[in-house]
Amino acid sequence: MFDLFAEMWSFVFMRRAFVATTVLSASVAPIGAFLVLRRLSLAGEAMAHAITPGIVIGFVTAGLSVISLLVGGLVAGVGVAILTALLARKTILRSDASLASLYLIALAAGIFILSAAGSAVPLKSFLFGSILGINDASMMLVGGVASVTLVAFAALLRPLIVSTCDPIFFEAQTKRPWLVDQGFMLLLVLNLLAAFKTLGTLMAVGLMILPATAARYWASTITGQLILGFAFALASCWIGLTLSYLFPETPSGPAIVLVAGSFFLISALFGPLGFGGRFRKSAASKNLSTDQTYTQERTQ
Amino acid sequence: MTNVLEIRNLALGYPGLTLFKHLSVDIHAGTTLAVIGANGSGKSTFVKMLLGLMDPLAGRLTWPSGRPDEIGYLAQLTEFDRRFPIRVRDLAAMGAWRGFGLWSGLGRAGRDRVAAALDEAGILDLADRSLHTLSGGQLQRTLFARVILQDAPLILLDEPFAAVDQSTEAHLLSIIKRWREEGRAVVLVVHDLSSVLDHCSHALLLGGGTATHGPVDEVLTPDRLVSQGYLSESQAAWMFRGQANAQENRAHV
Repeated sequence: MFDLFAEMWSFVFMRRAFVATTVLSASVAPIGAFLVLRRLSLAGEAMAHAITPGIVIGFVTAGLSVISLLVGGLVAGVGVAILTALLARKTILRSDASLASLYLIALAAGIFILSAAGSAVPLKSFLFGSILGINDASMMLVGGVASVTLVAFAALLRPLIVSTCDPIFFEAQTKRPWLVDQGFMLLLVLNLLAAFKTLGTLMAVGLMILPATAARYWASTITGQLILGFAFALASCWIGLTLSYLFPETPSGPAIVLVAGSFFLISALFGPLGFGGRFRKSAASKNLSTDQTYTQERTQ
Repeated sequence: MTNVLEIRNLALGYPGLTLFKHLSVDIHAGTTLAVIGANGSGKSTFVKMLLGLMDPLAGRLTWPSGRPDEIGYLAQLTEFDRRFPIRVRDLAAMGAWRGFGLWSGLGRAGRDRVAAALDEAGILDLADRSLHTLSGGQLQRTLFARVILQDAPLILLDEPFAAVDQSTEAHLLSIIKRWREEGRAVVLVVHDLSSVLDHCSHALLLGGGTATHGPVDEVLTPDRLVSQGYLSESQAAWMFRGQANAQENRAHV
């Protein structure tokens, strides 16, 4: 085992991959936690696909640089977010259907443009990530995004908790409640872009959602959710990268997300708030207080 | 009597649908205003308008002492996500979060205030419980503790007694009574007329495209409740049978 790690560590691209994903785990863990708690898990996935045409157009016009990735992805992500809000507010469609429609168009457009331009970058690494593609600029991007995310979360954590737990109460409490929502969506897009090189556009959101949903089965406080989500994300990255190294034909994105998926399944089976807790819940229900029993009778 | 809010010629609704118009109400400090009406008559919309979450179609709101920084608010229980991973004491503490800002902790004084509010709501022993383990009544008491911590001059309660048992309702009514005695104005949306008649000074009856406001015994008459679609004639006759019997007895004497 030690020999394996020593061997992996001897390669510069593996060292970069381990450092980048470690920093990335710290950055995406809080994003994932709040995506899950705000019931935006699927919206996160849709947004990951929606930024594809921006990245592709940036790549086709200016090459695969961090700046083209950042500008293209941000324009596409923010554009889709604004269009979704407009469609939801001004037309009959709800926001989920609006976002689904737009991300499908965006994903198809992205793949079409990439194929039509006869790209030198293999489609597989674009969609699923490649640990070979992490250069100095990518490391700077991951580090920069992680710094911005953690500082923003330090400032936004309290309003985010209130607005997630009880949105109407939060709206009544503040003059600009949309600042928190839009700020959170911007952080989501930034983190998707940071995760793009390692995980690809299709898998980027996997490192956000699966560790967070796994943590949800164990944690009964926000602090627990954030710490456990980070631990699951970090472990997924390290084990996933090792698997990707052992099986050189496998892209790093699916390897990392599969490990995160294992944590999710184990947590669902054995976590106190998963299937494992159902037995305790049914035992506890025998000791219902008169308050609960009476409430149930009244609401039936 | 000090007015917390003066509403003049208010029309409320949505584009293409006016729920009611020409409503003028003064909300006084130290009074309890019950908002009553059938489903869809605009009760919750009225509360959300007071909160500033939606604009009226027409009319003017005047706050004689300025709009309070804090308006106490309790939403309908059905709008609340009970699976959110938070403990009872932290949910209640949200009522005071504007006071301690973005960064600082609660401190000893803050923790004592939260404990006192939980104690008043009768759930201090549940302070460390997670929300998903609470019954409907216990959650409502927690949300009342949050309103206590808001320490607001105007308090809006949207169906506070839905899905709670009689003892919880009595406890929550005692808290409302204390608020009124402290000089706060309380506006509550309710369905149960008996709690209105016993505990509210004023009533606002919505329905049939109109809004009627005044002291409870002037507004909640059988004729008005029937004409504004809140009760059928037989329901009104049954509900006010005691009153009719008393009148009949007086006539015999």
